[in-house]
Order: sequence, then structure tokens, then C-alpha cells
Amino acid sequence: MIKILVAVFVGGAVGAILRELFMLNVPNPADLFPLDILAANLVASFLLGFATALHSRKAVSDGVNSLMGTGIAGGLSTFSSFAYGVAVLATASAMGALVAAAYVVVSLMMGYAAVVAGLMLGTKH
Amino acid sequence: MRPIDIVWVGLGGGVGSVLRLWIGRVVGERYHGDFPLGTFLINVSGALLIGYLSVLFEVDWRDRYGAALNSGVLTGLLGGYTTFSSMQLGAAQLAAKKESVVAVFYLLLSVVVGILAAGLGASIARAQG
Repeated sequence: MIKILVAVFVGGAVGAILRELFMLNVPNPADLFPLDILAANLVASFLLGFATALHSRKAVSDGVNSLMGTGIAGGLSTFSSFAYGVAVLATASAMGALVAAAYVVVSLMMGYAAVVAGLMLGTKH
Repeated sequence: MRPIDIVWVGLGGGVGSVLRLWIGRVVGERYHGDFPLGTFLINVSGALLIGYLSVLFEVDWRDRYGAALNSGVLTGLLGGYTTFSSMQLGAAQLAAKKESVVAVFYLLLSVVVGILAAGLGASIARAQG
């Protein structure tokens, strides 16, 4: 149990720092579309799917799964910044509301595709 | 962005992730249905808190790094606590169990309630201010 807690703590710290690097380095378009958070969420969704598939066929241990999936992928992805970003954009202007709607649709569809791609890549064929 | 802020983000992310693990387990011990209730409650509560605290800290939502409080609490703690990837994984696992309707319902409910919670949190903070 202690091993899992340490793995999740360390992974979560690494994931959050990676997300900060996305926020500092991914350019944000003029229409304020939150490209940085979208990119972090998509990479994390793929990684979580991949780790979960490897773990379910016992290719990685519980500890590695906790580090990669619950830790790094969980720390890298964020729902709070996503939801608050939509709330702020949607109430800013008519254009903002359109960008917010596009952000929600693209995040949901591409995020789902990313996790499924990760699951498929990690599954032995 | 100073190096110490990176340390705050990492610390917050680590603590938030352990909190997510713990709350997920506590909910999982009490609720045994197919709906991913733990992740749903984590994400909605995190959205409420980020709305409330962002206004309280008076930061623009796109520029929340710099100060230790913003880095540690908003980017680190709440970012590590909430999860977008587990929400998508939960939906994919429901769809794999031929529960596509529940999967779509879960995604839409998470997003709608999450956005409303973030807006509500911000409104509460403004009403106090």
C-alpha cells in the first residue's frame, strides 16, 4: 500500500509539472482556445489507456500502473481547468461561447479517441 | 515562472493525486454500480473549488502560474486531484461492456455539471467579495 501511495504521489507530481510545462510552452491562439490544456489532456488520456491495457494483461506491475496511470496521467490531465476554462470563455462574449462549445466537443471526442488508441496499442494482438 | 513555483506545482500535484486515489477508494467501497461515481464526484468538487478559489485569488484563468498559491493550489493540487483521462477511460470501459448509453450520459453529465459547478464556485466567491 505504501508503495502504491509513493508511486501515485511521485507520478502525480511529475504529471502536474509536465502540465505546467505544457502551459508555459504551448502557444495559445488569438481566439483564446485553451490549446495547452487540451494537449495535456489528450497526451494523458492516451497514456492512461496504454498503461491500463498493459496492466490488464499483466505486462506491468501494480506499482508501475499506479505510477504511469493514476500518477502521471492523472496528474497531467485536469478536469478542473477544463471546466473553469469553459465557464469563463462561455460567459465572456458570443465569440467566446462559440470557442467554448468547440473546446468541449473537441476535448470529449479527441480525448475518447486518445484513450481508445492507448488501450488498443497496449493490448496484445 | 521561478524554479520554486515548479516545486509547488509538483507538491500540489502529488498531494492532489493521493487525495484522488483515497476518495476514489472510499466511494468505491460504498457504491458498487456501473456509473463511475468516484471520478464524477472528484471532478465536480474540483471544478467547484477552482471556480471559487480562482476568483478568491483574483487570477485570470489563463495566467495562473507565478505566485506560489496559484501554482501549488490551482495548477498543482486541483489539477492533480481532478482527472480528465480517468473520465475518458471510464467511458471507454462502459462502452466495452456494451453500456454505450451510460458512457455518453456519464461524459455529458460530467461536463455539464462540472461547468455549472465551476461557474457556481466563481459566483459564490464574487458574492462574498
